[in-house]
Amino acid sequence: MIFDSYEAYRAASFTPKVCILGSGPAGTTIARKLGAAGIPVVVLEAGSREFSDESQDFYRGTTVGDFYFDLDITRLRFMGGSSNHWAGWCRVLDKEDFEPKAWVPDTGWPIRRTDIEPYLPEVRDILDLPAFRPDMPISDHIRWVQLIKSPAVRFAEKFGDELDKARNIAVVLNTCVTELAGDGKRVTGARLWSNGQDAGSISADYFIVCTGGLENSRLLLWSNQRSNGGVVPNATALGRYWMEHPTFEGGNAILADYNAFEVDAVNEAFFSPTLAAMERLQIMNFGIRLIETPYPGVKSLIADLACTAPDIAEWMSSKLSQRLRCAAQLYVAWEQAPLASNQIELSKTDVDHTGVPRIELHWKKSELERRTLLEGLRLFGTTLIEKNLGRVRIADWISNGQDYPTNDETAGHHHMGGTRMGTDIGKSVVDANCKVHGMDNLYVGGSSVFCTSGQCNPTTTITALSCRLGDHLSKVITV
Amino acid sequence: MSFFIKKMSRRAIVQALIALPALSLFRKLPDADASYASHPDQSRADPNEIVEVNGWILKRSDLA
Repeated sequence: MIFDSYEAYRAASFTPKVCILGSGPAGTTIARKLGAAGIPVVVLEAGSREFSDESQDFYRGTTVGDFYFDLDITRLRFMGGSSNHWAGWCRVLDKEDFEPKAWVPDTGWPIRRTDIEPYLPEVRDILDLPAFRPDMPISDHIRWVQLIKSPAVRFAEKFGDELDKARNIAVVLNTCVTELAGDGKRVTGARLWSNGQDAGSISADYFIVCTGGLENSRLLLWSNQRSNGGVVPNATALGRYWMEHPTFEGGNAILADYNAFEVDAVNEAFFSPTLAAMERLQIMNFGIRLIETPYPGVKSLIADLACTAPDIAEWMSSKLSQRLRCAAQLYVAWEQAPLASNQIELSKTDVDHTGVPRIELHWKKSELERRTLLEGLRLFGTTLIEKNLGRVRIADWISNGQDYPTNDETAGHHHMGGTRMGTDIGKSVVDANCKVHGMDNLYVGGSSVFCTSGQCNPTTTITALSCRLGDHLSKVITV
Repeated sequence: MSFFIKKMSRRAIVQALIALPALSLFRKLPDADASYASHPDQSRADPNEIVEVNGWILKRSDLA
C-alpha cells in the first residue's frame, strides 16, 4: 500500500510491527524482506513520488574543510532515495576491506565478507546484475577488478507496484521523522512531519533508520540531543568516521595494446592493488579507472614523452599508426582512512522548516590518502613496464605536490560512516547486526554503518547488508 | 607552413616531434634523485630500474 500522507495512512488503521525511515535501497530492501516474512512494516518516505525543490531544501547544509559538493545535490529526497540518480556501478567491497589494516588505525569490521556473501544471489536479482567475477592479478602489485555497469535500478520504479500491492507493507509518502524519542533502552516513538505540518507521532516495536549516509547521523544526533542520550546511549562515535571516495584524474597511460586488458562496453577497465602491495607500501585500497583518451590527447602525450624518452615514444608512435586507440586517462578513486575528525555535526545556526538543525560536515583528506594516490599510480606504471604494456604519466599537480584541483570529479557522492559498525562502543554506534549499542529496538541500515569504505561504489554492499539485516530481523521478530 | 603540414602524414608529424627533442641539447637526462628505487647506488647500472622523469614512470633504459 502506498499513501500520499500520514493522514491517509492513519485512516487505514494499519498496525506496523516495524517502522522503517526512508525508502532508498536500504529501506526498500529491508521492507521487502520483512514483508515477505509476514511482518507488518510501515516505510516513511520524506519526499513524494517525484523530485521537488521543496523537498531537496531539507538537505541543505555546509561543509568545513576540503571542497565538497553542495549537500542538497549530492543525494535525493523522494521515493527510492538516491537510487534515483545513481550510476549503477556495482561491486561488493573486497574481502580485505573487512579485515583490519595493521598500518591504519580503526580499520576492520566485526563481520567478514563471508557474512554477506550468502546474500549476493539476492542482491543480483534486486540490482539486475550479471554474475560477479573474481579479480585477476596482472602483476604482484595490481589486479584487474570487475566493476559492473548495471542498468541502475531505480527502486521506486522497480518495486513501486510490488509495494503498492503488498498488504503488510505501507509506504507513507511526504512524511518524515523529525525526532526519535527514547529512554536509553528503547525507542518509544517518533515525531512526524507530513505535507508541511506537524503530524503527531508514530509508535512501533522496532525502528530502522535508513535515511542515507548523511541523514542517519543527523537524525540520531538531533534525537539524542533532544532525549538527553536516550536514543544513542553510547554516542562518542555518532556522526564520526565519515568517509567518501575521493576521485581525481591522476594521469595518463600510453598503451602498446589497449586490448591487453578486458574493457567494458565503453572501453573502460578497473584496477586495484593487491593486498601484498597495500601491506608493503602501507597504503589504502584504491581503484584506477582506465578511460580511452581521444586521438589529439594521444598525440600530445607521445610528443611529451618524446622529450624524455625518444625511443619509447617512437615505439608508441608506431603503435599509434597501427591503431587509433592506444592511450588512456587514469582516474583514481580511493579508500579514505577512517578518521574521527571527519564528522557530521549539527549546525548551531541553521535549521530546516521542521526546526531540525542542518548538517555541518567536517571533511578533510589525509596525507595517507595523498600517498595512496601517488603510490597507486606508481604501482600501475610499474606494472605496465614489467608487462611491457606501456607507460604512465602522473599528473603534474600530483608530482608537484599541489593542492587537489577543484574542477575535477572530487568524489563519488558516496556517503559512508557516521553510525559505524563495531564492538568498541567508543568507536562505533551499531553492533554486527546493525543494532544501536544499548538499544533493544533501534537499527540502522545503509552505508552509514560502513567501518571502512573500500574503493568501490557502495550500493551493492548496502543492498547485501540490508538483505542480511532483513533476514536477521525476520528471525528476531515474532508476529 | 600550412602547405607542408597538409602534405605530411600524421606519422611524419609525430616522428618530427620525436626527432627534435632527441637532440642531446634538448634532452633532459634524469638525475639520481628522480629514482624511487630502493637502492639508488646501484641504479645507474640497472637498465630496468624504475625512474620518474617529468611525471613519466619509465625504465632507465627508456632514457636514450
